[in-house]
Amino acid sequence: MAERKKGNRVIRQRPDRRANRTILVRSLFLMAIFGLVAFIPLFVKLWQLQISQHDYYQDLAVKQQTRDSTVTANRGTIYDSKGEVLAMSATVYDVQLSPRDLQETLETYQEKVEDAQENGGKLPDYPEPTDQFIAENLAAILDLEVDDILDHLQNKDSQYEIIKKKIEPEESEAVQEFITENHLSHGIYLMPTSKRYYPKGSLAAQVIGWVNPNLDNQGAYGLEAQFESILSGQTGRVVTAKDGVGTELLYRFEDYYDATDGSNLTLTIDSTIQSYCESILQEGVEQFDVQNGGFCIAMDPNTGAILGWANSPGFDPNDPWDVSDPVLLQYLEDIKSGEYTKEEAYEKALAEGASTDEAYEAAVSAAETEVLTTQWTNRAVRLSYEPGSTFKSIVLAAALEEGVVSESDHFYCSGSATVEGWSRPISCSYKPGHKDQTLAEAVANSCNPAFIAIGQKLGAEKFYDYLEDFGFLEPTNIDMQGEPTGGGQIIWSRENFSNVNLATASFGQRFQVTPLQLITAASSVVNGGHLMQPYVVSQITDADGNVLQHTEPTEVRQVISEKTSERCRAILEKVVDGGTGKNAAVEGYRIGGKTGSSETTEDDHTIVSFLGFAPADDPQVVILLAYDNPKPAYPGANTTADGWYISGGNMAAIKAGELLEKILDYLGVEKSYSETADVMVPNLTGLNLADATSALKKNNLSIRVVGDGDTVTGQIPANGASIPGGSEVVVYMGAEVPTDQVTVPNLDGLSMDQAKQKLSALGLYLKATGATEYGANLVAYDQSIAAGTSVDRGTTIEVRFTDSTASGAGL
Amino acid sequence: MKKRRRDLTVMQQLARGPIDIPFLMLVVILTVIGVIMVFSASYPTAMNEGLSPTNYFFKQATFGGVGLAAMYLISKINYQTFRGLSVFVLAISIILLVLVIPFGYGRSTVGAQRWISLPIIGGFQPSEIAKVGVIMYFAARLSKRNTQKHKRLPPRHPLSGLYAWLDEKGVLEPIPYFVVLGLVAILMLMEPHMSGTILVLMGGASVLFAAGIRLYWFIGGGTAAAAGLFFIMTQTSYMATRLAIWKDPWNDGMNGRGSGFQTIQSLYAIGSGGLLGVGLGKSRQKFLYLPESENDYIFSIVCEELGFIGAAIIILLFVLLIIRGYWIAVHARDRFGSLLVVGITTLTAVQVFLNIAVVTNLIPSTGISLPFFSYGGTALMIQLGEMGMVLSVSRQIPAPKQE
Repeated sequence: MAERKKGNRVIRQRPDRRANRTILVRSLFLMAIFGLVAFIPLFVKLWQLQISQHDYYQDLAVKQQTRDSTVTANRGTIYDSKGEVLAMSATVYDVQLSPRDLQETLETYQEKVEDAQENGGKLPDYPEPTDQFIAENLAAILDLEVDDILDHLQNKDSQYEIIKKKIEPEESEAVQEFITENHLSHGIYLMPTSKRYYPKGSLAAQVIGWVNPNLDNQGAYGLEAQFESILSGQTGRVVTAKDGVGTELLYRFEDYYDATDGSNLTLTIDSTIQSYCESILQEGVEQFDVQNGGFCIAMDPNTGAILGWANSPGFDPNDPWDVSDPVLLQYLEDIKSGEYTKEEAYEKALAEGASTDEAYEAAVSAAETEVLTTQWTNRAVRLSYEPGSTFKSIVLAAALEEGVVSESDHFYCSGSATVEGWSRPISCSYKPGHKDQTLAEAVANSCNPAFIAIGQKLGAEKFYDYLEDFGFLEPTNIDMQGEPTGGGQIIWSRENFSNVNLATASFGQRFQVTPLQLITAASSVVNGGHLMQPYVVSQITDADGNVLQHTEPTEVRQVISEKTSERCRAILEKVVDGGTGKNAAVEGYRIGGKTGSSETTEDDHTIVSFLGFAPADDPQVVILLAYDNPKPAYPGANTTADGWYISGGNMAAIKAGELLEKILDYLGVEKSYSETADVMVPNLTGLNLADATSALKKNNLSIRVVGDGDTVTGQIPANGASIPGGSEVVVYMGAEVPTDQVTVPNLDGLSMDQAKQKLSALGLYLKATGATEYGANLVAYDQSIAAGTSVDRGTTIEVRFTDSTASGAGL
Repeated sequence: MKKRRRDLTVMQQLARGPIDIPFLMLVVILTVIGVIMVFSASYPTAMNEGLSPTNYFFKQATFGGVGLAAMYLISKINYQTFRGLSVFVLAISIILLVLVIPFGYGRSTVGAQRWISLPIIGGFQPSEIAKVGVIMYFAARLSKRNTQKHKRLPPRHPLSGLYAWLDEKGVLEPIPYFVVLGLVAILMLMEPHMSGTILVLMGGASVLFAAGIRLYWFIGGGTAAAAGLFFIMTQTSYMATRLAIWKDPWNDGMNGRGSGFQTIQSLYAIGSGGLLGVGLGKSRQKFLYLPESENDYIFSIVCEELGFIGAAIIILLFVLLIIRGYWIAVHARDRFGSLLVVGITTLTAVQVFLNIAVVTNLIPSTGISLPFFSYGGTALMIQLGEMGMVLSVSRQIPAPKQE
């Protein structure tokens, strides 16, 4: 019964034990469920997420919450041995547009205009930053298409639209000016980035290599690739927090790792010697109509340091994809015109069902790739070739060291030789035969039968030992990219080294070595027998200039004795001194060397080379100069269209002589003159005749007097001029000194006497170089001052003579 | 003093009894922590909206302060008064639920017409009031069920025998409650407001259960609900995609950028908290990654900033609050008090459970706010008001007998 007290209106329930008990029990049940059981899975789930899977979710969360931007490390500089910069990095800029920011800039501008109109204020004094306005101006500055920039600006939500990368400083200045003038700093950004410059252009391009600007400036070829980790340094990182829409939370700065700048390389290469090597190589390529380029290495034989290393065809690492070599361009032109198709690629494309047009495209693109690879490749380290007669210098050294031959030995050449195991006679390059010759003469003649005999005396075992000792069976381990791991040689194994192989190997044929192996071995022949490990990087320094690594010359082994080396030098000097290498002779310098003409598997494809060293008594430099495939005038011809006889002695030797002279001059090696050597003209003014005559005599000069005064009033040539010894100096005693100029005559093709006469008639002096002392067939082919130039009287004209006698192939 | 006390009736004296300190303390602690967490979680959102960073915090703190004061005032009211009020509260909430359909708002923001704006009070969800209304009305009615007159059909009526039998077995008794619940549920589903409906049903069911309605209703109801849920989950495409996202939030057709995004961001926040958290105020996920970080998903930020330890402590505080609530219920002076507190406590418990279960992806997502934590002034005030009712009941718990 509900008890109802009307007065205070309190309603009371009727006590009910059973109902109360039900509520108690069921409430306790609910408490158990909702106060306890229900929350257990929550704890379990939280444990899983926060403890078990913490790392997983944290990684994902951090990934989306942070922006990891890199701080570019400055790439190290590459210096030559004199500290000249060969490769350097500089800051350039990418032009980045933020259409989103530009939209805001535009809105700000419009607000200003509205504000000005409403309140009568001043209108902005710069144009409205419309997309069209921005696109037109930037297109003009950056040489881009207006429409392309407009396309970028259409991405209204984007903040990162890079319209041009790595612009030049002039362009970035112009852009900066445009930004400032038009108040566009909120929307157009210049993002600093790094660009690699090669200040000396194509100089040593294949050695230095290049970086790929499309792949984060990673080294792609050459030293840039080989020393990538050292040059590139350690990229720094800035990790910043960002919010859900990508805005950086600057005050929530997270982490900063400094960038470590890359280290610098100092090379053994000397820019000057390098440029000599390159120009000589290039001159020869043009002069001799060379089809496949060539290479020229200059090495310090005493240390193994590479002084110069030229490859042709060359390229400019500032734009490695640009083909500028005329031969390569011609080749591409020929492919494109269909003169010769790139057969393999063409046929392959056709076989794959391409139309002829597509096949043509495939052929052209294959040719382009081939051309690029060709110009990038440092062939002197990567490719092998038949050394030819240059290898005889090595055989000579081995034979002398073993004592199987001596300078007093005589060899008879009938024009050919037979070898056991080979049915046909092996002929000498000089068909009539060299007849009887001493060892030195045999080397100077580059006589094949004589070397077959020397090889036989050595025997296959010994010969092979020397191949090993001179390093032909292993890589040179130069600090350069691309050296074939096996050494690159294509050579017989010891077991297969038969008697016939021994015979051909004796004169450098039927096997291949890399140019680097050859010059390294040749260095050991002339430097006292020390096989040095070649190197190009002399020093690595960090960004602060601390030396991290200094390369000391490494001797691999002593191959021959000092004494044998000395004997080799003497014999090899004879090659230049009247032998097949006489065209390499340089007045005043003692040069030794060996010529070579290597055969290849292709018809009419010869590699002509010259291996030279100087000075012969104390070698400071060894060079290996080779031209690959001078074009014969017609198939089977042994001269080029210009009449150059295709052989090492008639091509490489000439250029090698010029090169060695330049290098020795540069290295400060004094010329040692004979009586015709250059002398200095002393100052004669004010002297009497007797004193003047004796002063000239002291300098190995004669006198011709003009006028009849008491003292000398003038002279030709002037005081300090250098003229060949024995020349006549004109002394003016009171008479007026003629000041008119004379025109240099053309001396091409003249004999030395003819040239001398022609010059002295004009009051000019002749200085003869090249093969000046040998044979009767000397003709001038080059003069230091071009014909037609006006010069002062008394000027010395340097004329290079060559022995035009064809001296046979295989030299 | 003595004189005054003598003037008071027994009932009045009881109503002035001591408040339940543990329960009060738990509510205050949770509210304070909740407001602090709103500050931490909301300032990036506020700044992004161009508001002062403390904008949400001040609003929430004001409502929290006013709410706590209101709670205390309500606790001073003799809860017997609520019996009489219950019908009006229920009626008002039903009227509001009807009004919200033409006059409410929210369709443009959340796609459901859930809010209604009233002068002075401002915008709030009628469903919040409906929950209290249902619980109050059910508790008031069910506390008197033992005195309820059992209707009988006229003896001559052909079904009178069946009717009497059904009545005896308790089949008929809950039908009026079901009608009320059904009406409220349908109105809320029209908004639509799925999660609110679940909470109202759970709140009402808990009162019915505690009051002693026959168990088979709950067994049957539970089975039916399970079957219905199973049907919806497996047979309708709407739930099928939700389920797929629940199983793998990245599998939303947009690689986690579509409808699974919020869940994924919540998991990132919780997971990156680890054992000790990234530190109070140092959440990164609140920087526009986690949508509604100050609202339904505030617990994710709690987990991220305070770690497993902090989150566990907060859950523990909720558990203690709930257990204390039931303790008050079983010690209440009368059945109305018991049922009222059971309903409110269960409602709170379910809400806490569902919210945390959603943010941890234990169950498919549905929008349920976390009591005392989620941003929302009127919701907080209503919750604190409910707590005031519980405290009011606690005042009349008879003191233990002194030995």
